[in-house]
Amino acid sequence: MIVKVNNLVKRYGDLTAVDHLSLEVHDGEVFGLLGPNGSGKTTTINCILSLLEYDEGEIEIFGQPMTPDAYHIKRDIGIVMQNIAVYNELTVYENIDYFCGLYVRDKNLRKKLVLEAIEFVGLADFAKFYPKKLSGGLLRRLNIACGIAHKPKLIILDEPTVAVDPQSRNKILEGILELNRQGATIIYTSHYMEEVERICSRIMILDKGKAIATGTNSELKAMITTGEKITVESNDLSAEQLAAVRQLPNIVSAEYNRPLLVIKSSRGANNLETVLDFIKKEGIQFSRIYSELPTLNDVFLELTGRALRD
Amino acid sequence: MFAHIFSYRLRCLLRDKETIFWTLLFPLLLAVLFYMGLSNVNKGELFHPIDIAVVDDANYQSNYSFKRALEEVSQGDDRLFNLTTASRDRCDQLLNNNSIDGYILVENVENIYAEKPIKLVVKESGFNQNIIKSFIDSYLQTQSAVSSIMQINPTKQQELLNSLGERERYLIEVSASRAEPDNILNYFYTLIAMACFYGSFFGMREITDIQADISALAARVSTAPVHKLKALLSSMSASLLIHLTEMGLLLIFLRFVLQVDFGPRTGLVLLTTVIGSLTGVFFGAFISALVKKSEGVKIAVLVSVTLIGSFLAGMMYQNMKYIVAQKAPLLSYLNPVNLLTDAFYCLYYYDTFTRYALNMGILCIFIILFCVGTYSIIRRRQYASL
Repeated sequence: MIVKVNNLVKRYGDLTAVDHLSLEVHDGEVFGLLGPNGSGKTTTINCILSLLEYDEGEIEIFGQPMTPDAYHIKRDIGIVMQNIAVYNELTVYENIDYFCGLYVRDKNLRKKLVLEAIEFVGLADFAKFYPKKLSGGLLRRLNIACGIAHKPKLIILDEPTVAVDPQSRNKILEGILELNRQGATIIYTSHYMEEVERICSRIMILDKGKAIATGTNSELKAMITTGEKITVESNDLSAEQLAAVRQLPNIVSAEYNRPLLVIKSSRGANNLETVLDFIKKEGIQFSRIYSELPTLNDVFLELTGRALRD
Repeated sequence: MFAHIFSYRLRCLLRDKETIFWTLLFPLLLAVLFYMGLSNVNKGELFHPIDIAVVDDANYQSNYSFKRALEEVSQGDDRLFNLTTASRDRCDQLLNNNSIDGYILVENVENIYAEKPIKLVVKESGFNQNIIKSFIDSYLQTQSAVSSIMQINPTKQQELLNSLGERERYLIEVSASRAEPDNILNYFYTLIAMACFYGSFFGMREITDIQADISALAARVSTAPVHKLKALLSSMSASLLIHLTEMGLLLIFLRFVLQVDFGPRTGLVLLTTVIGSLTGVFFGAFISALVKKSEGVKIAVLVSVTLIGSFLAGMMYQNMKYIVAQKAPLLSYLNPVNLLTDAFYCLYYYDTFTRYALNMGILCIFIILFCVGTYSIIRRRQYASL
């Protein structure tokens, strides 16, 4: 077990930011904490890192209690904060070297690690640049490099792709998977479900400080009744026909906002075929029809009654 | 680890142009401005002979004693007057075109008891006019005394004449210092004190970069396997080194370029500067730890305290220092900028160390208070909120 959190409670006055949360992160996995803003992801991370005092619970990392002066544990942890945390007066190389130097004393080893980190995040051409000269995406990459240069066993990334362009986001996500392949255990927090779906091997969904579901991507989707979402683009649908759609077998809901008819079906076979047969029989004109499997947003929606980005 | 943090901290601080400007370049620029603006103050206080005229008529020519007295004080390098003898019309003309401050008209030769036997004609009243009048009054009093004595005891004539030139002093002037009085020194001393307190910007930054509840950078450092207070000690050492170097450069500039006199006690001047620098840096650290507001608010507090302290120490108006000492003496001892200024002042003017030691002692107490206060606030390594 890399991280074990048991019954964690963190209160800010009357507000309970983390509410009896328990989680386990296993060796070699990419563990995602998914939830909307204010759901308690960053607070949980800060408690795990012993930056925040908490009201109840126990936290263990590498099988040992985590405390502010557990330096032997901190030595093997890499942090990438949500906010950019670099020195504006130091170049890219110097920033990475400075933070790496807080963990690694050997100068030669440190130089090797710093160069590897620069190469890893694709900042080789910008090594002598000051942070102010970097774009938002490159700055995020520098932020990551400062957290991972010392090759930690556990890397905690707290929303590392906020306000990043798609190209840099892609590079960052690929990099995280590569770090995992190299042996690091990852804890990744985000409110972007696509990112979490893409890179996390196990996911915990948080809402209002509580864990509402934990499992692999497919395990989470199996928890809900929605099987697939069928969308029909049509301007030719009457109220009677909409009512008839709702009566079809396995159909959970059908909403028509011209020109989109969105049909949600429960899990089962031949749902798309049933809908197509109905359209053909009624002679409904349509331009496009497509089917999607449920997303984590559907999971969140069904479990909380709200969309993930509400 | 100390060397690693220290060396990177030096680089960070030396490349922080804004802080370097306010802590080094601004005091240097202000010193130059003070020098340009105040260098004539001492020269302005030197005595310049007063331009006067005397109406050259029969009365003046026949009043030998007055003529002789007036000519005597109008001779030599340390003369009282630049004397012109001219006709009444010419004297009026000189007075009207401001070539002289006044002219003297001898009206009554025979009777010195007559009303206004020697008349002073001026266009306006002022300092120079008062000096001319004082001279005339002094002459008339002496003349009157001589006449009275001669009437009562004519046999003492020779003795009286001998004693006229001798003025007996019954008060002895003893200087508290061997230093030359200098009216502009206090301005430069307040400037040094102000520069010491601009070191508070360094102290503020050190706390900002080590308190995880203030900055993300500090939060990242707090997650590293480094003891917080050891990290603070390393970076604070870099700050102190830079600020002390800046203060050294300022002193060198003042002493050797602007020729500001600090007196003969160079070692104590340096010690005072070191104590001042420590007070400034730790003051900034304390305020940064205490005020849980944005960096802008903290800077506003530091600048306000420093400028108000400098003003009360006499930076903008020299007499303010004395006004505060008279009206609110406690404030003099609670204002660290004034304590520093006064310490430099004591080193320059006083032969004894009592007042200097008192100033330094209070400053050391301030340093201890700031350190203890800062430590008690930042010693926590876990926070209630971030």
